[in-house]
Amino acid sequence: MISHDIRPILSALLRNRTGAVLVALQVAIALAVLVNAVYVVKQRVDKIGRPTGVDVENIFVAISAGFATDYNHAATTRADLAWLRRLPGVRAATLSSNIPLSGGGSATTLFQTPEVKGEGTFMNYFDVDESGVDALGVRLVAGRNFRADEILPEDPTGSKPVPNIIVTKPLAKALFGTEDAVGKVTYDALGHPVSVIGVIEHMQGSWVDSDKLDHVGLLPRRAVGPNATYLVRAVPGQRDAILKLAEEHLSTSDLRRVLRIVRPLDYYRDRSYQADRNIAIFLVTVTALLGCVTALGIFALATFNVNVRTRQIGTRRAVGARKADIVRYFMVENWLVTTAGVVLGAALALGVGYALSRAYELPRLDLYYLIGGVLVLWAIGQVAAWQPSKRAAKVSPSVATRTV
Amino acid sequence: MLVMRHISKVFRTDLIETHALRDFSLEVAEGDFVAVTGPSGSGKTTFLNVAGLLEGFDTGSYSLDGVDTSGLSDDARSRLRNEKIGFIFQSFNLIPDLDIFDNVDVPLRYRRMKTAERRERITSALDLVGLASRAHHLPSQLSGGQQQRVAIARAIAGDPKFLLADEPTGNLDSLMARQVMDLLEQINEMGTTIVLVTHDPELARRAQRNVQIIDGQVSDYRPYESHVRPVREAAPQAAGATT
Ligand SMILES: Nc1ncnc2c1ncn2[C@@H]1O[C@H](COP(=O)(O)OP(=O)(O)O)[C@@H](O)[C@H]1O
Ligand SMILES: [Mg+2]
Repeated sequence: MISHDIRPILSALLRNRTGAVLVALQVAIALAVLVNAVYVVKQRVDKIGRPTGVDVENIFVAISAGFATDYNHAATTRADLAWLRRLPGVRAATLSSNIPLSGGGSATTLFQTPEVKGEGTFMNYFDVDESGVDALGVRLVAGRNFRADEILPEDPTGSKPVPNIIVTKPLAKALFGTEDAVGKVTYDALGHPVSVIGVIEHMQGSWVDSDKLDHVGLLPRRAVGPNATYLVRAVPGQRDAILKLAEEHLSTSDLRRVLRIVRPLDYYRDRSYQADRNIAIFLVTVTALLGCVTALGIFALATFNVNVRTRQIGTRRAVGARKADIVRYFMVENWLVTTAGVVLGAALALGVGYALSRAYELPRLDLYYLIGGVLVLWAIGQVAAWQPSKRAAKVSPSVATRTV
Repeated sequence: MLVMRHISKVFRTDLIETHALRDFSLEVAEGDFVAVTGPSGSGKTTFLNVAGLLEGFDTGSYSLDGVDTSGLSDDARSRLRNEKIGFIFQSFNLIPDLDIFDNVDVPLRYRRMKTAERRERITSALDLVGLASRAHHLPSQLSGGQQQRVAIARAIAGDPKFLLADEPTGNLDSLMARQVMDLLEQINEMGTTIVLVTHDPELARRAQRNVQIIDGQVSDYRPYESHVRPVREAAPQAAGATT
């Protein structure tokens, strides 16, 4: 029935195309921006939502800095950890050289032979103690955890051998391929042998933008003072309460150091994703605005068309158009304009998407986004044209005889 | 048959009430050619609009071709307009963005007629008004008289029983006016009932019957002999005689 009406509507439209062409262009641009923006936003959201492997929500970070000349790092950190571990509601606590997901960390290169030749393998590492695995909430899937007697003393030079190491699966794969990593030996940058004693399923390391974010190793070593970074993992629901208790205790228990920072770990994760989140919010805002402007443009065109055609509408009513026929006329006319825009926009979106994928090495635009965008713009068009079309139907047939 | 009985219609604005039709009664028989005259503002257009179902009325009754029109839905009125009535307007009211062919097609499409039949009807209507060769011109490419003939083609293409024309020659010079009148006579001879509002006494004289509307009433209303009913006879100087 609609196709029955399209030809005369189209030919009338083509005889008055200026406004229609402008609105169609607007629709085209809106579609191109919408599709690509949604695509980029989706990628950012996916990136932010990647599993960390770490029990981020239940961990907090406390950083203390010893300053007095008689500050005893070893004694103070032992006392702090003992206190923390005794606290009901604490699952585990460890000293750590760095804060995961914080944007700051340490990395080194591992080699296949003691001669340390070739490219080596990137490793982002954290010095932890025997509670490290539990305090991070990472899942050991092969081998074993560190024993307390394996934890090495502080090494300010970083040059002493570390005979044992726990690595993530991706790092294990990078080092040894698909073979079982436990018991295998690799070599640190100075050629010291390092045995893998355990493998953890997954853990994101320091830098969220790195493509080797999950190439992580845990080293059994006391982190160097006089700063001490504690990772404390609470039982679910207790983090904030324990954080408060820890803050009170650590800031007064030893006056030879100051408690510099006590923060939940998700603070650091969120801070690392700030830029991604901002881009997503910006794009969503721009797209929403563009959608509104497009709707407004369609609405304005439809309103204009209705207004300049009052007499024509009256005449159509006079010769037998029902109200529904008038509504349909304007809805179809608008749909034709939107469709012209959508076709042009689809070409534009594919072009822009292709250019973006070349320039930023993004994967190519998914066709589903384009289909979704087309549907959204069709919907916007029909919604925006609805009110003017209904108004057109209210024009009285007597307009045909009353207007001279 | 078009039968109006005791119709009244009032236009209310913020300031005034205008009694455009008051106790208005009129019958138009099938095949008739009625010319309606009367002073400006006397209610001629209002009468035609009510007759053509373009407007409603306040009291009274109106039956068109045996159908009582009061209480009809908007869609039903549209349908009656489409099937039984052809309208001709003083200012032609062709759709400027459609060519002649498509203009004549407008009412036929609203009747959901098959393409082949529409084409046939459009061609023969345009043939009748002598504009078949202009089928793919735009209205703006035609003279006023030609445009009115297209409008007539549009009005008759659907083969309506009634043709209602509101000053169809008002915007035309006398030669063109006479051509339009010739055409209307020809259409009437083919059986279509015509009600023509005009202020041109010469054209009015060519109609079979003359009706004068003064102040919202037919000034010399007399019910048809075939409808012998106790109908009140309006005084010729009816203005203000009834409320
Ligand atoms: N839409 C309207 N609103 C208010 N008054 C109207 C309207 N249409 C017509 N009238 C009034 O009704 C009366 C009859 O008008 P009309 O039927 O157009 O007269 P005619 O066609 O005989 O000149 C006039 O006084 C006119 O001003
Ligand atoms: Mg008039």
